[in-house]
Amino acid sequence: MTNIRWKTDNTAAFYDELLTPAGKPRVAARRLVNLLQSLTPEEMSTRRAAAELAINEMGVSFTIYSEGKNIDRAWPFDIIPRVIRGREWDKVSRGLSQRTRALNAFIDDIYNRQRILKAGIVPAEIVLDSSNYKPQCEGFSPRFGAWAHICGSDLVRDKDGKFYVLEDNLRVPSGVSYMLENREITKRVLPELFENYSIRPLDDYPAKLYATLASLSPRDRQRPCIVVLTPGIYNSAYFEHSFLARGMGAELVEGSDLFVGEDDCLYMRTVEGPERVDVVYRRIDDEFIDPESFNKDSVLGVPGIMRCWRKGNVAIANAPGSGVADDKVVYAYVPEMIRFYLGEKPALDCVKTYLCMHEPDREYVLKNLDKLVVKPANESGGYGLMVGPHASRATRAKFAKLIEQYPRNYIAQPTLTLSTAPTFINDTIEPRHLDLRPFILSGKDTWVTPGGLTRVALTKGSLVVNSSQGGGSKDTWIVEDAR
Amino acid sequence: MRLLSRVADRLYWTGRYMERAEGIARLTQAYTHLVMDIPQGSELGWDILIKILDAGPAFESRYKVYSEQNVLYFLIADEKNPGSIFQSVTAARSNVRTTRDVLPQEVWEQVNELYLYTQEFAEKSVGRRNRHRFLDRIQARCQAISGHNMSTMCRDNAYRFMLLGQLLERADMTTRIIDVGAGTLLDSERHNVSMDPLIWGALLQGLSAMSTYRRQVGPLPEAAQVVNFLFNEATLPRSLKFCLNGMRTELGQLKNHTAAVRHVERARRRLARFDTKATDWDALHPFIDRIQIDLNNLSDCISESWFLPTER
Repeated sequence: MTNIRWKTDNTAAFYDELLTPAGKPRVAARRLVNLLQSLTPEEMSTRRAAAELAINEMGVSFTIYSEGKNIDRAWPFDIIPRVIRGREWDKVSRGLSQRTRALNAFIDDIYNRQRILKAGIVPAEIVLDSSNYKPQCEGFSPRFGAWAHICGSDLVRDKDGKFYVLEDNLRVPSGVSYMLENREITKRVLPELFENYSIRPLDDYPAKLYATLASLSPRDRQRPCIVVLTPGIYNSAYFEHSFLARGMGAELVEGSDLFVGEDDCLYMRTVEGPERVDVVYRRIDDEFIDPESFNKDSVLGVPGIMRCWRKGNVAIANAPGSGVADDKVVYAYVPEMIRFYLGEKPALDCVKTYLCMHEPDREYVLKNLDKLVVKPANESGGYGLMVGPHASRATRAKFAKLIEQYPRNYIAQPTLTLSTAPTFINDTIEPRHLDLRPFILSGKDTWVTPGGLTRVALTKGSLVVNSSQGGGSKDTWIVEDAR
Repeated sequence: MRLLSRVADRLYWTGRYMERAEGIARLTQAYTHLVMDIPQGSELGWDILIKILDAGPAFESRYKVYSEQNVLYFLIADEKNPGSIFQSVTAARSNVRTTRDVLPQEVWEQVNELYLYTQEFAEKSVGRRNRHRFLDRIQARCQAISGHNMSTMCRDNAYRFMLLGQLLERADMTTRIIDVGAGTLLDSERHNVSMDPLIWGALLQGLSAMSTYRRQVGPLPEAAQVVNFLFNEATLPRSLKFCLNGMRTELGQLKNHTAAVRHVERARRRLARFDTKATDWDALHPFIDRIQIDLNNLSDCISESWFLPTER
């Protein structure tokens, strides 16, 4: 029998996804916990080995850049799923959909009438002076006013058991293929649970993504020509690019496969000659997408693609310039956006955010560095952030200086505790902190994945869940409530 | 079905590399068996294998002696030899990895497994003790993958380019295997007429053609008949004629095929004119050389016609 030995430690300090503070399984997790408790550590290890074998054979990997070399690593996976009740998820899902609608309305407004700036709700300088604001997009509005067609929002659960949005990734969010592969692996290693549980399926994500992208096509065709644009095999998410192209039956292309014709339409080079492309799901950053409009030295993009896009001859997802709303300062204003554009009350909480650019906030942050998490306003991947309670005095001093020098570049938030879930470490089950990244699709309709990618910090006590920094992942189950 | 030029290029090379890995495995295995059958005193040299693969300069730049160990290491496990089994499998894998979206899902898993297997065992299988098992496995796995493609893929351009690569590489390998036969007969000091059937028999084995030969031609493998069989038997999947005919058929179904078809027709005419009774090295080797040049030109032409980026 495997020992879930941590029920007594400090349970009130964190919310645990599977167990109540008394150490009893939560309703939705009961059958899972019972199964785990019936297995010996050897049986657990056997299942973990089966999962690792499957990951290797399926070639589920991610690439990290280290010591001047690209290393292809097997995807880190914990076999114990995380379970969330369907009824609870439905609320979160509505909140995410609402949020994404507001964010898209915001981006569309910013590049056009700028009503929200004129109304003084969001200070103009934080938007217009941002490096994420792209003048190349001014005066353009994509179909359905949808800019961030694929959004990955990071959620955490604080000790009060409530979900909070931590950030919205609106540029080229990744992780969805791992969410799908995690489910495939769990089906292989814990098949017995799928008989007793009613788990919301995920496999239709590629079909939903296809439908979203197809709805953007400038030409009215039965099967528009959709391509996934990848920077190539050395990108850390190449596995995912290929996975999604396959899942949608789309072409996986690199910049050199595409060119802009004299008619300002986009073409790809095929063995039968040039073929017109309708929709580009690009997985390269704005900066590299078009050397004519952005970074001149980029060889990853396609010269002239921005011209095609502005003429409405091709759809690009996510639309260039969407990153303007992917900024931790802008994040602080999302509840205002929801009220302003939708006239609704925000359905999901977000984390109290101190903007260092505002003097009272800055003073508070500098005084409370040991209690706060300080983050750069527009970096991703968990780099360059400081977790106050865990930081050394020297690090805190370094950040204090940075904040005073570049207040616009930093925000601070209270240190959330991040919920835990039982995780199989060596041969015991121990609590580890985790977050959740659901994906929200926006085109003609809005759609939220049931669950998302759960990332788990495998180091004891750590709050850093990024796979590039030692994070793992778990399958996430949204289960229908028992009747 | 649409097919990107870059993807077509990689599929073509996947076909070539997979066939090359299998071909080298067949060739080395057949030759190892042959060496074991030859009575002491008339040993065959290992240099012949390097010679027929035109790998002399690459080999000599890093090895002093044409010993069994060196030659087999070079052919099986050498990372610096682009024609080694290990490198062919590695190259095939990286091509499949970037074309997974047009291949059946299991193909990537199988090629990846083949790669993991090669990575683990290539070096350990240079010695005679493990060699046979390793070469057997390589052939079996390559065939499983090619069988999988054959039984699941639509006969579209993706399949076509992979098949073209496979047929071209196979045609090349068949001519080289015949060259081994002629090569072993070259050195009259080494050569003993009673060994002839052994040599040709081993080569037929290497092409999985021994039993077909017995049924169609007769029990005793004899030079002129074997050469004729391996060149001209249109129903034998590894004969030169079969491969050339196959390429002719596939090329004809592609757009913009005039130039490539011209090249394959040139090779077909050359084969038709060749007098298969002339099996001595002096006649056979120059012919094989010319066929190999035809095949090279065809490969270049395929690349120019369909892979290089052109904006029209």
